[in-house]
Amino acid sequence: MRYALIAILALLALLIIAPPLLGTGWQYALINALIAALFAAAFNLLVGQGGMLSFGHAAYFGVGAFTVIHLMQSVEYGDIPFPTVLLPLAGAAVSLLCGALAGFFATMRSGVYFALVTLALAELLHSLAPHWDEMFGGEAGLSSMRMPSLGFTFGSTLEVYYLTLSWVVICIGLLYAYTRTPFGRLTLALRDNEQRIRFMGFNAHGTKIVVFAISAMFSGVAGSLMAISNETANYSVFSTQVSALVVLHTFVGGSTIFFGPIVGACVLSLFTFVVSGVTHSWMLYQGIIFVLVMLFAPKGIGGVIQAHIEQRHALPWKRLAAPYALATLAGLMVACATVFVVQSLEIVLSREYAAAVARTGEYAPYTVFAREWQVFHPFTWLFPVLLLVPGLYLLRRAFARIQTLWDKDDDDDNGDIAAAPRELMEGGH
Amino acid sequence: MDTAMQPDVLVIDDLQKHFGGLEIMRGVDLTIKQGERHALVGPNGAGKSTLFNLISGEHRPSGGRIYLRGQRISGLKPEQISRRGLTRSFQITNVFSRMSAFENIRIGVMARHGIRFNLYRRIKPMRAINDEAHALLQQVRLDHRADNLASDLTYSEQRALEIGMTLATGAEVILLDEPTAGMSRDETAYMVELIRQVTEGKTLMMVEHDMSVVFGLCDRISVLVYGRILATGGPEEIRSNQEVQSAYLGEEEEH
Repeated sequence: MRYALIAILALLALLIIAPPLLGTGWQYALINALIAALFAAAFNLLVGQGGMLSFGHAAYFGVGAFTVIHLMQSVEYGDIPFPTVLLPLAGAAVSLLCGALAGFFATMRSGVYFALVTLALAELLHSLAPHWDEMFGGEAGLSSMRMPSLGFTFGSTLEVYYLTLSWVVICIGLLYAYTRTPFGRLTLALRDNEQRIRFMGFNAHGTKIVVFAISAMFSGVAGSLMAISNETANYSVFSTQVSALVVLHTFVGGSTIFFGPIVGACVLSLFTFVVSGVTHSWMLYQGIIFVLVMLFAPKGIGGVIQAHIEQRHALPWKRLAAPYALATLAGLMVACATVFVVQSLEIVLSREYAAAVARTGEYAPYTVFAREWQVFHPFTWLFPVLLLVPGLYLLRRAFARIQTLWDKDDDDDNGDIAAAPRELMEGGH
Repeated sequence: MDTAMQPDVLVIDDLQKHFGGLEIMRGVDLTIKQGERHALVGPNGAGKSTLFNLISGEHRPSGGRIYLRGQRISGLKPEQISRRGLTRSFQITNVFSRMSAFENIRIGVMARHGIRFNLYRRIKPMRAINDEAHALLQQVRLDHRADNLASDLTYSEQRALEIGMTLATGAEVILLDEPTAGMSRDETAYMVELIRQVTEGKTLMMVEHDMSVVFGLCDRISVLVYGRILATGGPEEIRSNQEVQSAYLGEEEEH
């Protein structure tokens, strides 16, 4: 517990100290990662703790964003004095109300039907917004300017970063505190067994509405921060992509652990920031990561980390070092092979390349990994195979070894942890 | 215990239930006295579980009335009935599997104290709640399993946890649905003792197939056959009742 606190404080210090040393591109990427982290944490209150999988959480994110844009416009035109730093409160309030209303209907059903109702509500907004100019600014959306407040001009990305960081830290802190309250415990009981809590004297529907509304409220804060950062919002914030992305972040991070979705959102947003600048295939890579995590580490990145922390005293770290290093190396080999094939295909199958071939009649060499490759040279296609086959073999060996070492030191009274090594299998990508 | 002079706690009056055209309850009349242990027996399909579902609010009766201490409870929701002091356990183990044994009980204690939408206090320093949950856990002899996930408990431990959760809500009237189903002889004996201890001073109504449990534990027995009460009485009375013999007990003994 004390280590956890130290780790969090160290991370926080890093998040405060580092950004001024970074360029605005990275600052902006960090803002987006923080917003995604808060959104995922809010979403996970509903999914991981409440056991209600929503496919339409973009709705409450978007409501927060549009609320703030409207308020920013009013401030900009001098209609209402409202400090910029407190704007997310407005987004939170409106999202809370919308969440309570939508939650009232959605939570009447559970499982697939619940998911479909939430999806339908978000789609309703998504299709309505482009046609409702006054409210959502039509297809172009609405824009505004951040006004100075409390001595900050909010002209620079760095100031927006610190505003975002403050709100995200406070909100994630509140979401964590939530799990420690009686209602937080009741939320977990609701997830496990709704019928039982009714027979114990709790109003299950009321409980679900409150959980839904609070989740929507914090999603609204995330949306508000997005609007403040971008100074604009349009109907695309309601899109299925936004709803799907938060699901992806949450499950890659691990919905059963509080900090899982936060880790997942940060990792994937920063991954997207870096990789999307380099290749068009970033969504494919994101998809591959999602599939691998679901197959080999169903509790997500957070689950893998948690298993290690829980077992830190029982694990033979010295003996694990070699197989872990081998797994990393083998993982890199497999990753290189995959990236090579994807990038080669991306280039060779592109329209530009086809046009060049039609123009010159030649298959020109192309560049991947800072080296030129001939399309029809055997080595070009042998190279990934030479990486992939031994890579996969070594990976299997390394994980077999890791598994025996984990199993040996398991206390066999805990099924959860006993299952961990299996989840770790080939999770090193 | 002589319960004849005790006041009526649960009164069921001409209770009917049909699903579509299918009549399950065909006018059940039953009175449970304060402090008694009352068994509900009957062949499969007699409607025992349905009767429990009707009393506890899972289903609405199609006709008739149910009174708990003179107040009508038929037609109320399960949580409303639970708050009036009647709680049930389930035939199939029905616990919060991904929470610890201690937390399972604590949720029940929260219910008893009316803590439902408390989002502004931490639960850890709530002494009364935590102490009470520990005491109950001890009462159902699971204190050594406090921190284990409910799903990691053995079957009979889970059944004991069920009963602990039912007690935790502070109910005065407890409905247990086959608490010894699927248990070995030793486990059954253990469970009977446990039920005897923890329901001391409370009113118990239970569905049970094991006749030795019924005759050993209960003060009165009602035999439910095809949606009607065939007979109600003490163990001796039921054992010697000819009608019951042919309808149920004889048939049981042949197995």
